[in-house]
Amino acid sequence: MALLEVSDLSIDIAGIKPLDGIGFSVDEGRILGLVGESGSGKSLTALSIMGLLPLIGGRVERGSIRFDGIELTAQPEPALRRLRGRRIAFISQNPMTSLDPVMRVGAQIDQVSRLHLGLDAKAAAARSIALMERLRIPAAATVYHHYPHELSGGMKQRIVITMALSADPDLIIADEPTTALDVTIQAQIVQLLMELVRDRGVALILITHDMGVVAQACDHVVVLYAGRVAESNGVKEIFAAPRHPYTKALIRCIPRDGMTPGSLAGIPGSVPSVAKYPSGCRFHPRCPDVLKICPEAVPPLEPQPFGGAVACHAVAARVTHG
Amino acid sequence: MAEPMRDLVQIRGLGKTFESRKGLLGESRRLKAVTAVDLDIPRGKVTGVVGESGCGKSTLARLVVRLLRPSEGSITFDGADLQQQSNAGMRRLRRRIQMVFQDPYSAIDPRYTIADALLEPFQVQGVRLSLAEARAKVDELLDMVRLGRELASSYPHQLSGGQRQRIGIARALAFRPDFLVLDEPTASLDVSIQAQIVALLEQLKTELGLTYLFISHDLGLVRYFCDRIVVMYLGRVVEILPEPRAKPRHPYTRTLLDSTFAPDPTQRRDISRLTGEIASAYDLPAGCAFAARCAFADETCRAKVPELMTDAFGHATACFHPLN
Repeated sequence: MALLEVSDLSIDIAGIKPLDGIGFSVDEGRILGLVGESGSGKSLTALSIMGLLPLIGGRVERGSIRFDGIELTAQPEPALRRLRGRRIAFISQNPMTSLDPVMRVGAQIDQVSRLHLGLDAKAAAARSIALMERLRIPAAATVYHHYPHELSGGMKQRIVITMALSADPDLIIADEPTTALDVTIQAQIVQLLMELVRDRGVALILITHDMGVVAQACDHVVVLYAGRVAESNGVKEIFAAPRHPYTKALIRCIPRDGMTPGSLAGIPGSVPSVAKYPSGCRFHPRCPDVLKICPEAVPPLEPQPFGGAVACHAVAARVTHG
Repeated sequence: MAEPMRDLVQIRGLGKTFESRKGLLGESRRLKAVTAVDLDIPRGKVTGVVGESGCGKSTLARLVVRLLRPSEGSITFDGADLQQQSNAGMRRLRRRIQMVFQDPYSAIDPRYTIADALLEPFQVQGVRLSLAEARAKVDELLDMVRLGRELASSYPHQLSGGQRQRIGIARALAFRPDFLVLDEPTASLDVSIQAQIVALLEQLKTELGLTYLFISHDLGLVRYFCDRIVVMYLGRVVEILPEPRAKPRHPYTRTLLDSTFAPDPTQRRDISRLTGEIASAYDLPAGCAFAARCAFADETCRAKVPELMTDAFGHATACFHPLN
């Protein structure tokens, strides 16, 4: 059984419905890439799993989020609070949203293991410094006493990852963890996350818009468009044979070796805002393969004969008619 | 036979130092943002400048369009020394040298309609247009960047990020410049929009015979878009690749390439060797600024700054131990 199983997740925020029938699962020791552009619903999916929708005035309207056999959507807030930070950890894009600027970073990491694992001050400090060393923070015992502003962006993000790991979580959700960082630092952080998954067997949901990072790190990919799953598949399959027209276009937006000048085209138009979601398939106004049925009916996410799942009328028509 | 055409822009010994004070009475600190840059920008080509935070690429862009005055060195544009220009002379040159910024939202007055924003360059230049001329100009500029003419009466906040960047480009094109400095023009856009903007820039370059200086942190994008790549690290040019596929010789360029992930899971990078952080530009080390992170650094590297040496093919490298 998968560690996390999200199915048919739909949410409601003050009458608008930004997520519609999201489904995927993550296994231990695996990295799932949740991919899409701004407004695709990646971060809202993360908030839903963390049970934090009420913070933005939202609620789960339909569907289920099962974590290690526990139905999260049915848990009261105190139970969720015991899971958050302990078994499900979160890494945000901007480390300063997770760090207190007036508290030394060591004390902040200690808090996690003191709160969730009941360690005393001395044991917590030893655990924090050992973890910092594992994350290759140079002079960890010194950095432990620093304030966040004394550290570089990459180092702050390492501190946030240390905090996330401090209570030995089973699932980590990382929302664009490297987007704000320089490329050489981004590469180090991605490497670090990959090692953590391999060595500790945690499950990682990596939320990103960067197809390069997905190709480098993920085992499985879920492509979101305007609050729905467009396609999901193994990472090799999705890059070798993308089937949804949106996935195909998204991959063609990234320059790669051997591309001739003028071959980068982009996708016409832009991602619609929640208030202006088109009828039927939400990608149809931008889609090169649009059929008569596309504006009329929502394409269901259909499992494909050779693995993966695609929500596209044009793909379904090809499968049925050969 | 005609003489070979001179490069459009020639940069010699360019340097920029910023001074700042730590606290009210504190010591002044000097930050060398750009040091001893020599660079020629050939006509009709895209010269890419790539590097990470603090490498000086945005300062270089601002020096080239003279939004900043250099602390030392010179910039010559089509034979004219920018330092020697009177205000009037510089204003005339500004019609030919334009800049496109990363965030078009902060470059456009939010109270202006799009038509106002597109006509602002004419106001600044003191060019009076009749109502009919102004209308025609706005239509022409919107056509150029492939936007609908009906957007003329909208406000910036009603536009998407991609549309706003097209307006930023249209403003830069108002006087049909020869030279555009593009400072991370797609960095805050989604990939599908980034690709649209790059495609537009490619088309405009051909249609209008433009020369670009393209500043970016994204080596993948620069390798796709540029004819030549200048790599900067902590204020200095460390390598110039004469063509985008040239093999890096500077260990920093190699590191940058290894950190750039291809959208292809069969080509995963081995990045386990990568370590270290970018040093602060306030207290630069004595020798090569990359020495602290470099696997090949020795005593020479830590003591002396390597000179940028150019080979017969125009491949320039500033390294005592170049890769081959």
